Amino acid sequence: MVAEAIVPSVDVGMTIEQIKATQIGMKAVGAGVAVGLTGIGTAVAEMGIGSAAVGAVAENKDMFGVALLFTVIPETIVIFGLVVALLVLFV
Amino acid sequence: MVSVSAPYIYVCTRMRVRKAKLLPREEYMRMLNMSIPEITRFIEESQYKQEIDELGTAFNGINLIEVALSWNLAKEYQKIQEIAPGALKKFTQAYLRRWDIQNVLTILRGKAQGVKSGKIKEILIPAGSLDIKELDRFLAEESNDRIIDLLKMHRMYPVLAQGYPSAKETGSFSQLENDLYKQFYEEIIRDARSGSIKGGASFLAYIQLEIDIRNAKTLFRLRADSTEEDVRDLFVPGGTLTVNDFASLNAIKDQNEFIDQLKANARTEALRALLEELKGQKSIRDIEVRLTRVQLEQMERMSKRNPFSIHPVLVYLEKKKYEVFNLRALARGKESKLPSEKIAEYLVI
Repeated sequence: MVAEAIVPSVDVGMTIEQIKATQIGMKAVGAGVAVGLTGIGTAVAEMGIGSAAVGAVAENKDMFGVALLFTVIPETIVIFGLVVALLVLFV
Repeated sequence: MVSVSAPYIYVCTRMRVRKAKLLPREEYMRMLNMSIPEITRFIEESQYKQEIDELGTAFNGINLIEVALSWNLAKEYQKIQEIAPGALKKFTQAYLRRWDIQNVLTILRGKAQGVKSGKIKEILIPAGSLDIKELDRFLAEESNDRIIDLLKMHRMYPVLAQGYPSAKETGSFSQLENDLYKQFYEEIIRDARSGSIKGGASFLAYIQLEIDIRNAKTLFRLRADSTEEDVRDLFVPGGTLTVNDFASLNAIKDQNEFIDQLKANARTEALRALLEELKGQKSIRDIEVRLTRVQLEQMERMSKRNPFSIHPVLVYLEKKKYEVFNLRALARGKESKLPSEKIAEYLVI
C-alpha cells in the first residue's frame, strides 16, 4: 500500500485494456521471432548437411539412415525456438 | 556467413565417397599373387562389374581387363562432367582436355604405324571434349591429313596443323606432343586466371603443382638418358621454374648438386623432403613413382584445406586414373610373367 502511494503514476496515454492488448501482441511477435529466426538457423545448417547427405546416399545407399540422422540434428535449433515461443505465449 | 553453395557440397561429397571406394593398398598386394583370370574376377567384384559383364563376350584375358578399365575410366569421367555444377564443370572439362591430346596422338601414331582401327580403339579413353563418335570418325579415315582436317574446329588445330608436317616427315610425334601439352597448360592457366569464375585460384594452385612435378620428372628423365633435343622444348612454363632455371638445372652434372638446386626451387615441404630422400637414388622409375605420390599427397592436402572446391574432384580424377594405370600395369606384368616385386615397383599406391 505504501509503495503504491510512493510510485508516481505515469500517463502513457493508454487505457489498461490497450496496454494488456499490446502486451499480448508483443508476446506473439516474440514467439514469431523466436520460431522464425531459429528456423532460418536450422535451414542454413541443414543446407550443407543435407546436400552432403544426398551426395553420400547417391553413392552409397547404406548411408541413408546415418545421413538422415545427421540431416535432422539441426532441427533441435528450431525446437528450442518453438519451446521459447510456447513459453512466451502460454507460461 | 555461408560461402559455399549446396551443389558444391553435394558433388564434393560424392567425389569423396567415390575416392573412399577406390582400391586400397592391401588389395593391390593381394592381387600381386593372383593370375589373370583371378584378377579379372576380382575387379569384376569391385567397381568394374558392368564393364566386365558387357565386354566379357567380346574379349578375354588381358584384353578384357584393358578395355574394361578404359571404358570404366571414360564412363566415370563423363559421369563427373555431368554432375559437376557451374565453375566446377568448367574446370573439370578443362582438366579432362588432356585426354583429347592423348586420344588424337594415339590415333595419329597408330595410323602412321599401320595399326588396325579396332586395335587403336581399344586403347582410346574418350574422356575429353571429343566423344567416342568423333573418335570413331577419325578412326574411319584413311590418312592422318584428313584427321587433322576434321579437327579444324577444335582448339588443338593450330598446333596440330603447324607441327604435323614435320612429325610426319620424321616419324616422331614427341615434338608435336610437347607442343600440344604446352598449349594445353597455357590454356588451362588462362582459364583459371580469368577472374570471372569463382574458385579459379584453387584450380591454378593445382595446375602449378602439376607443372612443377611434371618439370621435375622431365629433369630426372633427362638425367637418366641423353637426348638430342633442345631441353628448352621440353619445359612446360607456368610453374615455379623458369625456362632458364630448367636449362641450368639440366646442365648440372652432379646428381646431389642438382637435387639441392631443385630443392631450393621446390614450393612445398613434402617435395623438399622427398628430394632430400632421392639423393643417391638411381632408378628413374622409382623416382617418378615417388614424385607422383608426392603430387597426390599434396593434392589430398589441398582438398582438405578447400573441402568444397575443385580440389576434391581433381583428387578423385587423378586417383582414379592411377588406379586404372595400376591395374593395367598389374595385369600386363602378370601377362609377361614379371616377378611380383618388379610389378610392385610400377604401382602408384
